[in-house]
Amino acid sequence: MNELMSATAFNWFITLLTGGVAGAWTIYDAINLLRTRNADRANPIVRDKHFGYVMGMVIGVLGIIGCLRFHNML
Amino acid sequence: MAEAARVVSPWNPANAVTASRFLTLPPLFWAIDTGHHQYATLFILVCGVLDKLDGFVAKVFDCRSAFGEIFDAITDGICYGAGLIVCAAYGWAPAIPVAAIILLGLVNTSLRFVYAKRAGRTTNYKSYAMERLVAYTGWLIGFATSGFEVTFFYWCFVPLMMIIVGYDAKRMLIDPVPS
Repeated sequence: MNELMSATAFNWFITLLTGGVAGAWTIYDAINLLRTRNADRANPIVRDKHFGYVMGMVIGVLGIIGCLRFHNML
Repeated sequence: MAEAARVVSPWNPANAVTASRFLTLPPLFWAIDTGHHQYATLFILVCGVLDKLDGFVAKVFDCRSAFGEIFDAITDGICYGAGLIVCAAYGWAPAIPVAAIILLGLVNTSLRFVYAKRAGRTTNYKSYAMERLVAYTGWLIGFATSGFEVTFFYWCFVPLMMIIVGYDAKRMLIDPVPS
């Protein structure tokens, strides 16, 4: 059975998918963090949310770095 | 008069979508076994999309339940755990990070059982950070099947998972359980 597309097209598909989702994710969690910045940090749920948003941003940035590394841009 | 508590049947559309994720495993294993990188990536992508879809379906059909949340977490563990192990077994993913991820995943699962026991009811600790990490796990299998910066993504994942499991461990074992 043949593969679905050429190797170049596949590499770009994965790059765009990963980079797109990682970029959107970073922005989404940055907005979430900004929106909840004034929430009461004494509330453990708020702390959980802030921690989750920061981790989401870290994961998003890693996704972008990975894409740049794959194309020898970093 | 007080309204009776709404009982959600486990046989609902959201759980059906969750269960359907298991159907992606045999073709995924076939694709890895036969060296079809692109098909393997496609099947893990479908598994990941279904993971996002079940929450949406639960919202649309108003069939969210504690069982559904736990079933979803178990399905994540089985699908992604099996995917990682098979990728490592075929040399598509580095074995040491995969072993660390599986071990930390088992620790996290045990903590959730302890938390449910502490809470005295069937409940799943909602971890915003772990939700994000689980999505990354699905992506990890895709990186292995597509050969996309595999070493970088796998080795970055392990310290992140250690931090998140450590944070969640404190929340589940030490901090008070919210009522």
